[in-house]
Amino acid sequence: MSERLKYLGAGFIVGIFSGLLGVGGGIFLVPIMVTYFNITQHVAQATSMAIVIPTALSSSIIYGFHGNIDINLAVNLTVGSILGASVGARIMKKIPAVRLKQLFAVLLIVVGVRMVLA
Amino acid sequence: MTVILTIFAIGLSVGLLSGLLGIGGGVVLVPMLVFLLGVAQHTAQGISMLVIIPTSIVSVWIFYKEKLINYQAAAYMATGAVCGALISANLVQAVPASDLKRIFGIFVIFSGARMIWGTRKK
Repeated sequence: MSERLKYLGAGFIVGIFSGLLGVGGGIFLVPIMVTYFNITQHVAQATSMAIVIPTALSSSIIYGFHGNIDINLAVNLTVGSILGASVGARIMKKIPAVRLKQLFAVLLIVVGVRMVLA
Repeated sequence: MTVILTIFAIGLSVGLLSGLLGIGGGVVLVPMLVFLLGVAQHTAQGISMLVIIPTSIVSVWIFYKEKLINYQAAAYMATGAVCGALISANLVQAVPASDLKRIFGIFVIFSGARMIWGTRKK
């Protein structure tokens, strides 16, 4: 019972951030599941994806009600995104990702600072 | 035509990066939409939500076949997350775009810091 309440509570907090930022919430869900619920990394990643679907669906309906959705743009992006994701997941095993991750992380921080200062 | 190609290229690089680096698409997609296409912050976040759905469905299908999903955790956390998202997605519409962009910027910095932290531990 208390375990279920903890799941609900953790999900609720992640949902708040997800709706606020327009992101899936996997970045919060995976560490929470691994750290607080002792779920293994692989299962946590898979489970987070399953949580992201209904969360993103309800948020996007609300964003749509407020006129903040562009279906054409989204469809075009999705076609490219699914193609890219399948290629990316395949070549991930062949290249050393650590250096790439560090480089991209720095780029993210620069972009983030630009957004904060803009 | 150029616009469609640009959009396709953005989608492709977002998918490539998220598959390659194991990060969610939203953190990459929203800044690209805002900076490269000049989409308003709120709309960029709405579009990001929409793009996430089909991408996640494809992944969940694969994970389902590999029996990697913890259904109890998924059901309860998803219920909580949907409630939270319904509340904040409504409230966020009243936040001015410039403030929302700053909030998102903090999230992007947080994501970058987490990525660096993740590579150090190995």
